[in-house]
Amino acid sequence: MADMLSTGVSGLLAAQIGLSTVSHNVANANTDGYSRQLVSYAARLPEGQANYYIGTGVNTVAVQRAYSQFLNSSLWSATSAQGRAGSMASLTGQLNDQLSGSSNLQTSLDSFFGAVQDMANAPSDAASRQVLLARAGGLASTFRALSGQFSQLSGQVQQQIGEAVDAINSDSQSIAKLNGLIRSSQATDGTPPADLLDQRDALVKKLAGEVGISVVPQNDNTISVFVGNGQALVTGTEAHALGTAPNMYDATRLEVVGAASGAVLSGRIGGGTLGALLDFRGNVLDPAQNQLGRSAQALASAFNAQHAQGADLRGQLGGTFFDVAGPTVQAAASNSGSGTLDASIGDIGALSGKDYVLSYDGSNWSMRDTGGNSVALSGSGTGADPFVAAGLSLVVGAGANAGDSFRVQPSRNAAASFSVAIDDPDKVAAAAPLKASAAAGNSGTAVPAISISNGSDPNLFNASSVVFATATSYSIDGGPAQVFTPGQPIVHNGWSLQLGGAPQAGDSFAVQANSNAQGDNSNALLLGQVANLGVLDGGVTSAGRAYSQLVGQVGSAGALAKDDLTTQTAVYHQAMSSQQSVSGVNLDEEAANLLRYQQAYQASAQVISTANNIFGALLSAVKG
Amino acid sequence: MRVSTSWMQQQSVGSMMERQSDLSDLNIQLSTGKRINQPSDDPVGAARALDLTHLTADAAQYQRNITSANARLGLEDQTLSNVTNVLGRVRTLLLQAANGSQTDDTRGDIAAEMVQLRQQLLGQANSRDGQGDYLFAGNRTGTMPFVAQNGVSYAGDDGQRMVAAGPGLQVATGDPGSAVFADIPTGNGRFAVSANAANTGSAVAGASSVSDPNANPSAWDGGSYSIVFTAADAYEVRDGAGTVLDSGNYDASNGGSISFRGAQVAFSGTPDAGDTFALGASAKQDVFTTLDNIIKTLRTPDGGGAPMQNDINTQFANLDQAIDTISRTRGMVGARMNALGQQSSLNDDLTLQYKGALSDVQDLNYYDAISQLGAQTTALQASQQTFTRIQGSKLFDYLR
Repeated sequence: MADMLSTGVSGLLAAQIGLSTVSHNVANANTDGYSRQLVSYAARLPEGQANYYIGTGVNTVAVQRAYSQFLNSSLWSATSAQGRAGSMASLTGQLNDQLSGSSNLQTSLDSFFGAVQDMANAPSDAASRQVLLARAGGLASTFRALSGQFSQLSGQVQQQIGEAVDAINSDSQSIAKLNGLIRSSQATDGTPPADLLDQRDALVKKLAGEVGISVVPQNDNTISVFVGNGQALVTGTEAHALGTAPNMYDATRLEVVGAASGAVLSGRIGGGTLGALLDFRGNVLDPAQNQLGRSAQALASAFNAQHAQGADLRGQLGGTFFDVAGPTVQAAASNSGSGTLDASIGDIGALSGKDYVLSYDGSNWSMRDTGGNSVALSGSGTGADPFVAAGLSLVVGAGANAGDSFRVQPSRNAAASFSVAIDDPDKVAAAAPLKASAAAGNSGTAVPAISISNGSDPNLFNASSVVFATATSYSIDGGPAQVFTPGQPIVHNGWSLQLGGAPQAGDSFAVQANSNAQGDNSNALLLGQVANLGVLDGGVTSAGRAYSQLVGQVGSAGALAKDDLTTQTAVYHQAMSSQQSVSGVNLDEEAANLLRYQQAYQASAQVISTANNIFGALLSAVKG
Repeated sequence: MRVSTSWMQQQSVGSMMERQSDLSDLNIQLSTGKRINQPSDDPVGAARALDLTHLTADAAQYQRNITSANARLGLEDQTLSNVTNVLGRVRTLLLQAANGSQTDDTRGDIAAEMVQLRQQLLGQANSRDGQGDYLFAGNRTGTMPFVAQNGVSYAGDDGQRMVAAGPGLQVATGDPGSAVFADIPTGNGRFAVSANAANTGSAVAGASSVSDPNANPSAWDGGSYSIVFTAADAYEVRDGAGTVLDSGNYDASNGGSISFRGAQVAFSGTPDAGDTFALGASAKQDVFTTLDNIIKTLRTPDGGGAPMQNDINTQFANLDQAIDTISRTRGMVGARMNALGQQSSLNDDLTLQYKGALSDVQDLNYYDAISQLGAQTTALQASQQTFTRIQGSKLFDYLR
């Protein structure tokens, strides 16, 4: 009956292992990344008799985790996508908060242009001019405040990039360490320990939330982890750190690099928090800053141009009203030549919201936008014939070597630099500097309109008269006869006289300084119209429209991120449910298992007790 | 399907959090009354709301402009009304002075009152608005426009201040003094008649006019002519070179009208042979010169005869031109105020429309929101109840 005893003991031991496994499962019911463990049993080899076999009990074959490689992989990729969506939603949410806050540019624009019109209603009133300057100051500070908020957000993003890189490095190190432990346990015990595998999977999942990764299992039960397109984070027991390094054009901007190789990875990282940070910075925040800058440049350019057409209270031509920065040019840190690049805005209507890189291949310059698309350059790049592209006018200085490049950001810093250039209310140019009138006896239908073509002409304010000898020939102040082409302006002394209608022989037009005209509001009225004047995008978009486009743009990014987060969260939940349906602990199931193993234990104990009884009966019979 | 207990819990908690976040969104919407609290709530709507706010602000500014323009035009109208009264008084006095029963003394009294009236008129022409700007100085609002020194000269310009009253609509908010007081045509507006100072007869030139140019295309050509009486009942019309262009009989008892080349002049009295009347295109004369001339005429000693009558008639025509100019200007001021009024109600309509559109875009539909609030609250309660139920039924509870 020794067999019965040892069979009972084997059952007892098996039930004990079952009970400990159930306890382990119950204990780890809430452990993140834990996979429930299952005990598998097998009957022991039977004892062979002459023509039959007698069972000898049970062996515990393995304690294994319930696990599916496929479901775990799906969970990791869902985690990456959800991590990215979550970060993106929170970043765009912050940006949206900033635009829905008190610094509403449209309100500032409206009150500024309201003050312009109020001044037009009382051009000689010192108070209305003072209010105009105050409102202009308010508008400038709104531009700067918005730009400042954007920069602050950019700084936060930069800091978060650093933090994300640190977290990634620490996780890769832990994974590498676990790789080592798993490999050596495997070598010692023959099977990988389930709990270590779980820990490693949990770390991989965490890492996937930080950055998009691909995981490749190796034969020795280690895993290799790669980021971007092939940069290794973990191979075997080795972790390869990521790092941050200054952008090649802008030392204040950090890019993600491979710490050992120095290769820039920023553009190739997708997924996870880090992917979201880089994506947000490059595709939401930068364009938003550019668009705000474009709006500032549009306003300054249109307002300054009209202001220069007017005369101030002292009869002087209007000067610059708003100061705004032009394009920023940054040389690559790697440039070996002494070449220079000057960029200015040639045609504000053609200005895009993009940044550009201009590079030299040893004989030719070529330009690409941030998206990598080639942009055609016209001109030769000299001061007399600059390169012209995308509204920019580019002049290159000699000395560039092949491979040198420059980055041009046409509008990035415009809003931050926006300021009011005049502080004397008398210098607001509300009046027209010149007046043109048709002589009383003119028989033609021509109506004169005068504008300034060259404000620095010393004879600008001299009185002149234009007399038509025939309908197509005129002379100025008795000078030589000149040919008149209908529709073409007559240019003289820095002014440009446009005649609407047809002049006839004998008609004359007088041009003279609009002296002493402090009550004239004609330029103020035109300044007021700048509010709705199309400047950007080929003369379609006003400064105000550019701002509402910015709001639309940022709002879309925010809405998209929100929607994406909803979708990705659902996907993540789905992946998590599937993975948990295999690996998760169900307490009811464990309770049932507990009962099962308890009963098995009790039954095995009963077997031993029975064996004992039988043995006792045998002994007493022998004694008997 | 197996369900992981802890994941089930997490999911239940997660769905409760989601409901609560929805409720918090609804709470923000209900407390602000706005459907769009962040651009991302509705990007297109947010941009549209900005545009509509801008349009509303524009319309409000146009209304401010109109208010300011109305104030200016009202002041101008008031001033011009005073001017009309002054000129009306001048006209009455001139009619009195033309009466044959006046003596040099009484005419002198009338002239004295006219001097006062001229002074008043000068004051009106130099009046200022609330900001101290001269109303009738064109754009030279800081310069006194009518300076009395050797007669009155105009120091303003021809500028006219405009106001933006609506998109693309500018309305003048004033008239330069040159147009109102200075550049007033003489005579009947087309030509003026003046008697030769050496005339000896009693012929007096009265009303003159130009016949309808449409009926007579070869009508008044704006040249200079003279009507010379060759006898008490005969006249000749000569051009500047002395060439006789026309001649005829003059009959004072029969209306005494002489007409040629579209011009018509009524004469009364009996001319002497050789009496001449010059006829030329209207010139510009300011109202002060007209008054000065009247005063000078009235003060002529031994007046009352045909020469004074002729002078008075000439100035009468000029005065009527001035009165006419003022009332035409007042008519224009009225028309502008009318236009501003119409634009103002149009702006009001637009504002209402913009506000309606803005409300449609960004305001919350309270009925929707409150019914959603009910639904969300119910959903949250359901999640909570489900959670407690599920958590309360565990197999372990029965293992005792």
